[in-house]
Amino acid sequence: MEGLRFRAPNPIDRLPMGRLATGHHHGGAVAVVGRPGRRDRSKNVGARAMVSVTFEPRSVNPRKSKLGARLTPEAPAPRPWVRPVALLLVGLGLGATVGVTLTAETLGELKAPGGIAIFLGGLTGLVGMYLALVMVLLISRIPAVERVLGLDGLVRWHRGLAPWPISLLVAHAVIITIGYAQSARAGVWHEFGTLVTGFPFMLIATVGLGFMVMAAVISIRAIRSRLRRETWWVIHLSMYLALALSFAHVIALGPSFVGHPLTRWVWSVAWASTAGVVLVYRIGLPIFRSLRHGLRVVQVKKEAPGVTTVICSGRNVERLAVSGGQFFSWRFLVPGMWWQAHPYSMSALPRPPYLRLTVKNVGDHSAAVAKLRPGVRVAIEGPYGAFTRHAQRHTTAVLIAAGIGITALRALLEDLPSSAQPVVIIRASREEDLCFRSEVTELVKQRRGKLHELVGPRHQVLLDRRSLPQLVPDLLTRDVYVCGPDGFVADVVRLVGRLGVPEEAIHHEAFSL
Amino acid sequence: MKRFPIVLAGAVSALAAVVGLHSRTAAGHAISVGPANAGSANGSAGTTQATSPPTTNPSPSTTNPSPSTTNPSPSTTNPPPPTTAPATAVARTSTGPVEQYGYGELSVRVTVTGNKITHLAVPTLQTAEQYSQQLAAQVIPMLTSEVLKAQSINIYGISGATYTAEAYVTSLQSALKNLHFS
Repeated sequence: MEGLRFRAPNPIDRLPMGRLATGHHHGGAVAVVGRPGRRDRSKNVGARAMVSVTFEPRSVNPRKSKLGARLTPEAPAPRPWVRPVALLLVGLGLGATVGVTLTAETLGELKAPGGIAIFLGGLTGLVGMYLALVMVLLISRIPAVERVLGLDGLVRWHRGLAPWPISLLVAHAVIITIGYAQSARAGVWHEFGTLVTGFPFMLIATVGLGFMVMAAVISIRAIRSRLRRETWWVIHLSMYLALALSFAHVIALGPSFVGHPLTRWVWSVAWASTAGVVLVYRIGLPIFRSLRHGLRVVQVKKEAPGVTTVICSGRNVERLAVSGGQFFSWRFLVPGMWWQAHPYSMSALPRPPYLRLTVKNVGDHSAAVAKLRPGVRVAIEGPYGAFTRHAQRHTTAVLIAAGIGITALRALLEDLPSSAQPVVIIRASREEDLCFRSEVTELVKQRRGKLHELVGPRHQVLLDRRSLPQLVPDLLTRDVYVCGPDGFVADVVRLVGRLGVPEEAIHHEAFSL
Repeated sequence: MKRFPIVLAGAVSALAAVVGLHSRTAAGHAISVGPANAGSANGSAGTTQATSPPTTNPSPSTTNPSPSTTNPSPSTTNPPPPTTAPATAVARTSTGPVEQYGYGELSVRVTVTGNKITHLAVPTLQTAEQYSQQLAAQVIPMLTSEVLKAQSINIYGISGATYTAEAYVTSLQSALKNLHFS
């Protein structure tokens, strides 16, 4: 019965890997056809040279229990204390923000006409700005935090928090105008004009709020899904402008800052440091890494229908610290593509001087990747992602992938120790969609794991609460890594959760950022 | 959301710390915040007052916005005072109406001795928030000294505080009119 369900594409299914001879043992790590890369790089690496690089798994020395030593350093391990410390700091900042707002107020001011509205307006404004600061820090990819949460975790937090600062700041503008109108015994619209034209920095702050609302509106899911990613991104960048425009009026008019040099100083330093963090980690570090490695495309090849592999070559790749399962944001420096960076997983650990990424053609950008020519310069941001072996809570693991999710899984597998005895489950609609079949087979075999390829239409080949425990009887003592399209990941995460795998042992990464 | 208590603990402790710190140093801050009744150039009581009372209390003088509340002196007005002028001149005082000026309200009390403006004060100054309060506290002494120098309401405005200056001059004008000061 089950045999029918899980169509075995080849005899390896459900067989212990150790028994198979696959014939994929290469003596060395990389087979290069044509001129060797190392000498060649001074002369514009691979500009038009015919280079064929293979990333077949490195052979294992049978006398050593350890798998082949890494050719590049591993990305630093996440520090578990970072999360509680970061949350504590966020809480401290929030408390201090509310504190300086409360203490700037006197009872008399509250009792004056419009006093309550003006106080509430000040409170919503300052808390809103503080949360905006946290939002900027979240998305600035501070490495210590990113390693713990992963870039997709940062984005998830950023998205979850977003409605708060936006609504607080809009409320601030409305409430404070009402408060001033009450205080001056004027109409709200008239008072709005007075506030914008009469108070210092209020005009630019109002313009800033306009930008902020615009950027927020286009981020609403229903609207964002109708925009091109690039359009959204460019408009969303105006948030930075909006915050910069709002800064001055806070310092010049905020009751917590007027006549309080200390709070003024602290607030300014907090924002200046945040700006510095953004500049360093979102601009400085990527530029530094890109220049340091000077990557260029050396080969573009079709991996499967609609799936393209790009191999890049660069300097100092042996010093690029990256873990299996991580990804970079790639920027191909050719007309029409140079201004946008897209996140694509590495589909293997680096083989200095080579890096490999594999892309599924789902949009304009990924389709254009298939047409890249050798010699194109490549800039990188990253590596990002917490979908690495560091996330493991148990010794053993099960890896589940569908579609293009195989890329990250393939690289992660390479990083797993043999003690992980990985059970790998790969889901595909058609046999030709299975990528890196021989590589995965070999990697699983080296680690004495098991490989299950589930090929067929989704409604025929089920991965459900009956079949999964049969494939992985010791599911509850393993870490579960899931990678693939969003819907698939959500389904599997729900499934293994229901089967009793604790949340901290389930690791997944959203593909659509 | 398991870790929400950490955020909450941080927030509460920081809030407590800030409030605690503030109440300990409150006395020190109070003076710096502003001489609200910073009226007279002659150094009247303004500077010694603490922060809260001036901005808030609709002080007695606000209740009499009309010019009719001038001091009993008007009846004694003898426009042509004899040659004894400076020594025997009677000091007459009048308070102008409370003027709204967008960011708050103020009134001006003027004392005229003989034919000379000798004293100016701002019995009512109420602003919506700290910034306007501070601005007014800065501007009013400047306006006062300008008027005392010019001995009239024909003074230069102060850039950045146009509305405050206008309200000041309007209230002063009414007060001077009550005293038939030309």
